[in-house]
Amino acid sequence: MDRLTTPAAWPSILLGRANAPDPTDLDAATRDGAFEGLRLAVRDLGPTGVIATVAASGLRGRGGAGFPTGEKWRTAASTEAPRRYVVANGYEADPATFTDRTLLELDPFSVVEGTLIAAYAVGASEAFIAVRAGEGEIIRRLEAAVADAEEAGFAGPDVLGSGHDIELRIRPVQGAYMLGEETVLLKALEGRRGQPEQRPPYPAARGLFGMPTVVQNVQTLAAVPWIIRNGAATYAAIGGPDSPGTVLVQVRTPVGEGIAEIPLGTTLRELVALAGSLPRGRKLKAILIGGPSGGLLPTDLLDTPFDYGPLRDAGAHLGSGSIVAADDRTCVVDLARLLTRYCSSEACGKSIPCRIGTRRLVEIADRIADGRPRHNDLGILVDLSSDIVGSALCDHERLTTLPLATGMRYFRSELDDHFLRSSCPAGVCHPIAVTAATTH
Amino acid sequence: MSFVPGLGIVKGMAITLRRFFEPKVTIKYPEESPDVAPRFRGRLQLLYDEWGTLKCETCFQCAQACPIECIDMGGIDTRGRYHVHWGPPETYGERREESALRRSGRPVPDRAFHHFQPVDLGAVDTILDEHDHDPKRMLEILEATQSAYGYLPVAALKQISQKTGAWYAMIYGTASYYGHLRFEPAEDAAQATAVAAARPPDASYVTALGAALGGANGRPGARGRS
Repeated sequence: MDRLTTPAAWPSILLGRANAPDPTDLDAATRDGAFEGLRLAVRDLGPTGVIATVAASGLRGRGGAGFPTGEKWRTAASTEAPRRYVVANGYEADPATFTDRTLLELDPFSVVEGTLIAAYAVGASEAFIAVRAGEGEIIRRLEAAVADAEEAGFAGPDVLGSGHDIELRIRPVQGAYMLGEETVLLKALEGRRGQPEQRPPYPAARGLFGMPTVVQNVQTLAAVPWIIRNGAATYAAIGGPDSPGTVLVQVRTPVGEGIAEIPLGTTLRELVALAGSLPRGRKLKAILIGGPSGGLLPTDLLDTPFDYGPLRDAGAHLGSGSIVAADDRTCVVDLARLLTRYCSSEACGKSIPCRIGTRRLVEIADRIADGRPRHNDLGILVDLSSDIVGSALCDHERLTTLPLATGMRYFRSELDDHFLRSSCPAGVCHPIAVTAATTH
Repeated sequence: MSFVPGLGIVKGMAITLRRFFEPKVTIKYPEESPDVAPRFRGRLQLLYDEWGTLKCETCFQCAQACPIECIDMGGIDTRGRYHVHWGPPETYGERREESALRRSGRPVPDRAFHHFQPVDLGAVDTILDEHDHDPKRMLEILEATQSAYGYLPVAALKQISQKTGAWYAMIYGTASYYGHLRFEPAEDAAQATAVAAARPPDASYVTALGAALGGANGRPGARGRS
């Protein structure tokens, strides 16, 4: 995946060492500041100091939900338990996004260091980095990085003379989209079937094997060493006020695609422009934000900042950090149907609104796209979506309704063309032919 | 009746006092059995069917289901005869032991199960030894089993359940959940097609997304990497 050129003023926190010729060279990385954060954490700050620094920086989880990281660590550290765990979630579920994988590939040491700092701060004796089993190169690099770090005394028994043992292991997992969800990932690490758990209790209080577990996205952990090195205030000054820092996004437009590190709060307009302008004669139509379960936003909302709160208000979410711009060749109904079908087929089947409700959503979308809707389909779509959201067990279920819900909210005229006039403005669906064949 | 102060409490206490001298009806149940009417619906008894044989097959299901383990096989039947055990008497002890084992949550050898696939289970035993017979490492055990056999034979799953003490249903649930584990040999093309239809691979989503976005996109293949 190519990297997009970003303005020079934008900070480079996650991909600061990404241009190193050999990402697995520990000496070069150490000269560049790797494991300096861990050294500072152990020597100066101590566990409570680290948690206070992370909390003061305002860092929020990059997995999509945006839970404050410092608060999560504090919960895990203050829960009485014989053991604690840290899990770095590098299982990038969205098959079309490569942000976490790019980070792991270009700078494995930052993730390793972040995980070690987190384990030191919450008092965890075991830490896991979960990655996709199919990514052989990333697993090799991570394992080499962990082995080097252990040899240098950053991991293993008695980390940097602090008397603290941290056993860091790479766990390749595979086999289900749902593994991106934190409780599901914990189930996979326990060797059980991947179905989410009721929250609360959150994993920070009771997670892996019933012990307090900090589950963080690898991007969150990779930012921690930088925060320790440069201070919480420096980090808090970057990005938006409620959610400081940077995040990796993958921008995809009809003319190109690539990965960029952006400060949170950048407007969607700037982000779409990163991947190049559309050719003459093509018009931007919709922006899909957040991967398969993301929301479809219209061009009116191009000035929305890419941030947790504004995106949620607009009906999308940070999700996997993928931003897909669709031009006027795309039919919104067809796209929403594809996304809903993918999410529905990846549902784990634990809760009934998800297992059956999302199936029904797909069927309704199929009927509308095929030009043979029932008269009450739109009403059912609205009711069913709100029922699924209201009774959802995990975020996957809640967000599966987003493509169709935002499609209805922002692209009503296009939906009405399908629904009332059996025509597709983009010429993608073939409602007319189908209607003709099934005329009663 | 005119109002007499204190009459109500006197009446109430009179009843209490009368009950106080009556014989107690509470009994110490398992030691003493109450004399219940023959048609009382809550009466615990063993029934005969219309051919005169006991309906109970001594399957011990009730004993297993009882959460406080107070049910055991033995008691008075409808004809007032005391049965210590029934069913084939020579296997009673075995069945009872099995029930106790099942209650403890451990798997029991199932004689009704025959290995319908002639599978050499030596590899499974080696894998289990390597993984310390630890059910918490079930995913690794299953992955190793699959790489040893090419797929997950049912007999191997049974063996894993037997040796690790994990319930077969849990192992089956885990094995059937993850997309990369399979129950049939990879060369079984019909099965592979059926599985792919039920669980479309990720690549098909990526292709479909590209098509929905207008085809000619920045990513021609599924895995374009720099």
